[in-house]
Amino acid sequence: MKKNNKALVALGVVTLAMSIVGSTMAQSAPVTLTVSSDLPLQGGSADQSESTNNVIKLLLKQVNNKAGKFAINFKMYDDSTAAKGSWDDAQCAANAQAHVANKSEVAVMGTYNSGCAKIIVPVLNQDPKGPMVMVSNANTNPGLTKAWNPGEPTKYYPTGFRNYFRVVTTDDFQGSAAAQFAQSQGVKSVYVLNDTQTYGQGVAQAFTTEANKIGMKVLSSGPAGEGWDSKAPNYEALFTKIKALAPDMIYIGGIFDLNGGQLVKDKVKVLGDNTKVKMMMPDGFTGYPDFLALPEADGAFLSFTGLSIDLFPKNGKAASFQKDYLKAYGKAPTSSFSVYGGAAMQAILDAISRSNGTRKDVFLKMKSVNIPAAKSVVGTSIQFDDAGDTIYHDITILVVKNKQETTLKKLTVK
Amino acid sequence: MVAISSQRKWATGYLIAVAALFITYQFLFPWDGLPMGIYDTLQLWLPPTSVNEALVYVICALGLNIVVGYAGLLDLGYVAFWAIGGYCAGWFMSEFFHMINIHFYGSVAKAAPGIHVNFWGVLLIGGLVCAFFGILIGAPTLRLKSDYLAIVTLGFGEIIPQIFYNGDDIGGFNLSNGTKGITILDPIPAGIKNIGPFDFGYKFIVFVFLAFVMIFISLRLRKGRLGRAWLAIREDELAASMMGVPLMQTKLAAYAVGAFAGGLGGVAFATHVDGVYAERFNFSISIFLLAMVVLGGMGNVWGVILGALLLSWINSTGLPAFGQTFNSRFGTEINFPSFTFLLFGLVLILMMLYKREGLIPESRLRLILHEGDPEEDLSPKESK
Repeated sequence: MKKNNKALVALGVVTLAMSIVGSTMAQSAPVTLTVSSDLPLQGGSADQSESTNNVIKLLLKQVNNKAGKFAINFKMYDDSTAAKGSWDDAQCAANAQAHVANKSEVAVMGTYNSGCAKIIVPVLNQDPKGPMVMVSNANTNPGLTKAWNPGEPTKYYPTGFRNYFRVVTTDDFQGSAAAQFAQSQGVKSVYVLNDTQTYGQGVAQAFTTEANKIGMKVLSSGPAGEGWDSKAPNYEALFTKIKALAPDMIYIGGIFDLNGGQLVKDKVKVLGDNTKVKMMMPDGFTGYPDFLALPEADGAFLSFTGLSIDLFPKNGKAASFQKDYLKAYGKAPTSSFSVYGGAAMQAILDAISRSNGTRKDVFLKMKSVNIPAAKSVVGTSIQFDDAGDTIYHDITILVVKNKQETTLKKLTVK
Repeated sequence: MVAISSQRKWATGYLIAVAALFITYQFLFPWDGLPMGIYDTLQLWLPPTSVNEALVYVICALGLNIVVGYAGLLDLGYVAFWAIGGYCAGWFMSEFFHMINIHFYGSVAKAAPGIHVNFWGVLLIGGLVCAFFGILIGAPTLRLKSDYLAIVTLGFGEIIPQIFYNGDDIGGFNLSNGTKGITILDPIPAGIKNIGPFDFGYKFIVFVFLAFVMIFISLRLRKGRLGRAWLAIREDELAASMMGVPLMQTKLAAYAVGAFAGGLGGVAFATHVDGVYAERFNFSISIFLLAMVVLGGMGNVWGVILGALLLSWINSTGLPAFGQTFNSRFGTEINFPSFTFLLFGLVLILMMLYKREGLIPESRLRLILHEGDPEEDLSPKESK
């Protein structure tokens, strides 16, 4: 009995000693916090996501993996599955739980797809130690931050905290800028297509609304035009039907992944090249080497919800970062979206450096993020409005020329 | 007979023990005292979400087992029932129909628009709607056999998800919200509190309860008159009808009960993901479920459970976690999850070659498959 007591006491002393050692160690070494990215690493968006992760890795290397007094560890999550070849709902739900369960994680950079964000944001929002911050470099669906469809955006924020931010502007601005640009090109009538997804319908709807408003003739019916079936083997019938209506331009609201290549091929096959009947797409078609490689893409107009790399200032961090990236990886970033991933990460790091290292405090500091233009990788200052959107409403119009995206002009929507 | 019932008791005992173990796991897991290394390892290899997801597959696989394993009716479109169940949850537990305001013991504030029926009520609705569709699809296919039947079910499994996929504008009526899906469902009410997104333990108990219901239904029906009729049809349809088994009723009953389980699984999965997306319900899910039933042991409830847990875990966690560990150890960049279907195909071929009756074979099936084996009982490992 006595022996047992002694053993117990010894055990107690050892644990006590260990806990003291543990706590002193925790005090002396810098606290490591994890920031993560949540992107589709498989399927059609894989190149873009890899480039985004590379931008973030380079950025972290440049700041010696530090934000204020904290050491920063970077973790990459994949929200796509091989079987689907694109983002997957169950994977997004699982990632959402994993972000919260990873105790050292304080903020998420992502997602690429708005649909995925709509699953992850409400979970991060209800984190008992949070809310946890998510900053997206590519979600452009307005419903995440503004009144759009019924119940949006409040249904994504059950606790009332607005823990979601984004560094690119939204599709309502993109759609109306595209319509205004089309009119300036002499387009009188347009046929609108959409990919039937959250993103594609949103941008097609914004385009249609603005086109009607400024007096263009919209030949397609429905608020967002006609949906194309991404599983169809070809679209000749669809374009033959459109041909009878003789539009000046086809607006394709959607992402390239959803059989966009076939769609573009059949458009040119049936309606002729892009000088005869113009073709315009939103940012869901930017940054895809496979799209640019198509001879049928030549002359297509593209819009982008931010600045294209060509429009970045030629001095300051934005210019030097492009050089550093080229040096580190031997090629330029796939598209501007990847660089905006860096901007999102800069915002997160800024908030962390001013916080006490908890999720809640990082969230509170996000609102006051203000990175001056000279220090930002995209060359415009990084600031958020009350809804969590970027304060800039810049849309870049590009044209595909010689298998490259060439910047035409910048439009700023009020 | 005595041997069988004691065996069953053992199996039930094991099941309860395993469930209890996991309940402890689910509650202990978020515990802050867990050392970081152990915590990260567990989070990588056995996150609580993947356990819950696996249970949804168990519920569905048990339903499919009744159709395929008991009654011997090949069903290649089971995903349709999962989809219908999921959309029942979407319709009756969210703000989707925002133009109306109906509450029936719902778990959200009375002011919220939409239809808000209590989760347990939605389970029943989902199950019954699916059972109805089960009968609907069963009825015209009754005179068909094997391959032809499989083709019809395949068509059904393709059509239903397509309806949801394109159902955002049916004559101006938004039935399913198309590919945008229905998001943010009401939480599951459990007594005093609602089950939040991080209450894995409570959700686990709910899913285990549903799985137990399906196990109970499966075992009781198997023993009864209906179950024996199913087996008779499975072995020899003509002989069964000669012996006075009403083919029509018996087959329809199999479809209805199987579909009911699909409905339960669908509702459960919708609450697991907190939304319904039309793209989820593709053909590969039907095949995946069928593989679980075949791999585990067609007709054997315990085998099917094992098969479902195993394959679901490999798909959602096992393979990605293995890939991550392998890549970080050897500095490679192999994308392991992309080999999922290759692996499943290999496993199925190997099973068919060496262990056709599944991991835990049904005793009757084993007898049939090994009929004529020399010294059958003494050397069960030697298969034909």
